[in-house]
Amino acid sequence: MKIVFSGVSKVFDPDIVALRDITLKINKGEFVYVIGATGSGKSTLLRLITRELLPSRGMVAVGSVDLRGMRRADIPYYRRDVGLVAQDFKLIPTLTVYENIAFVMEAMAVPSKIVSYRTNEVIEQVGLWRRRFMKPAQLSGGEQQRVAIARALANSPSLFIADEPTGNLDYRTAADVMKILFAINAAGVTVVMSTHNQNIVNASRQRVIELAEGRLVRDEASGGYFD
Amino acid sequence: MTTFKYVLRDMGRLVVNHWILGMLTLITAAVMLWILGITTLFSLNVENLLSRLESELTIQAYVKKGSDVERVSQQIQALESVYSLKAYSPAESLSRLQEKMGSQSRALDLMGDNPIPWNFEIHVKEAGQVEPLVSRLTAMPEIEDVVYAGMVVRRISALSKVASHVALIMFVLSVVITALVVYNTIHISLYSRREEIGIMYLVGATRTYIATPFVLEGTLLAFLGALVAVGGIVLTYFPGIALLQANLPFLSSSLIGDTHIIGRFCFLLAGFGATLGWVCSYIVVARFMHSVTRPE
Repeated sequence: MKIVFSGVSKVFDPDIVALRDITLKINKGEFVYVIGATGSGKSTLLRLITRELLPSRGMVAVGSVDLRGMRRADIPYYRRDVGLVAQDFKLIPTLTVYENIAFVMEAMAVPSKIVSYRTNEVIEQVGLWRRRFMKPAQLSGGEQQRVAIARALANSPSLFIADEPTGNLDYRTAADVMKILFAINAAGVTVVMSTHNQNIVNASRQRVIELAEGRLVRDEASGGYFD
Repeated sequence: MTTFKYVLRDMGRLVVNHWILGMLTLITAAVMLWILGITTLFSLNVENLLSRLESELTIQAYVKKGSDVERVSQQIQALESVYSLKAYSPAESLSRLQEKMGSQSRALDLMGDNPIPWNFEIHVKEAGQVEPLVSRLTAMPEIEDVVYAGMVVRRISALSKVASHVALIMFVLSVVITALVVYNTIHISLYSRREEIGIMYLVGATRTYIATPFVLEGTLLAFLGALVAVGGIVLTYFPGIALLQANLPFLSSSLIGDTHIIGRFCFLLAGFGATLGWVCSYIVVARFMHSVTRPE
């Protein structure tokens, strides 16, 4: 799924400028790192793609859809095609691993047999089969992140947004999570990932978009963290 | 159908997860709806009793000698508050009086010629209409005298007004308290799951899918409360009626004791409880969802 930012600025009340005049294009099937210091606008950029935020100026388009004009009732349908993984996992604490993942398909009225099959499939894919009936609080940070990835995968999205998915994880666990993300990308899914992790960015040499104080300061096809 | 199954399951989860709050809501709703039901039944009984008394209220209007009785009768019948009117000739009136006096009717012989003129027995629709009607009748030149139970009329009319006001106040209070309790329960339930709701919306659940279990929870709690209230009414109303009938037999014909009518009333009360729960939950959920899902 192609993403286009055209002259996008985002200002929060009162006069906090999170993004300034961002113009960029991410092609279908790309793997893109979004890097920058804390407060540089990385999360704001990702939240504009998931339509949690609206731009103050400019245009954000995903696929052929201009997100500014999207009706509120259509947002859930759009999000079903966008896998989302956040640093704080955003899992529902009262549901088990299985239920957290199954939920996204149930919300689409997928018949229970298919839900069951697909949920078990993605749980196996992220290696959490033995943890499937546990609640998020009973899992480690890495395991919770894998649940979030499994949930994002459940609907087979064409776009995968990961906001610092390795932020709370040790190096080994982070490497496991990255393996899963690369596998998703290899299947043709566009992946946009924000991160502070230099090792990860330097090791894989993918496209890097760097933000500083809300401005786009670098857009490199195969970059490292400090290039 | 699949969605409905999931929504019902989610509603079950909500009820189980917040069962203490749910029980409190159910009990409060039951108490308030019981008060509402009993007050309504009390007011219906009072209304019934008053209508019976009102239907027995009569105005006796005596016509001046030499007046055109037929014309006067038409004039009175044309008055709005007149429910029924019957004319009695002097002879009929005397015979009715003799009948009423029974063994003492011989005393009437002492009067010599029949002194009773043509007269009308008038029934009104409501006790409150008696006095205005009496004023209008008195003002008619053909009417010699008007006799009616003035004090009784004033008391019945006042009692009827008080009973309707008390019933209305109790009704409004019960409805408002029940509505507030259901509203707050659902609001707390929503607020405690604010973060989860945000996550659900973020991963593609529609607002309707997220909101429906909460609306159903409120409807279910109010409906169950109404069922408990109905049970309470059945357990308290019939023994109360039996007690009144035993101690105040003259009230018997005015009390509503028909199980069919009470059954219908209970059915309506249960429906009213569920509707009230649905409306309150819908309002609070709609407002909450609107604020939670609004993009910044």
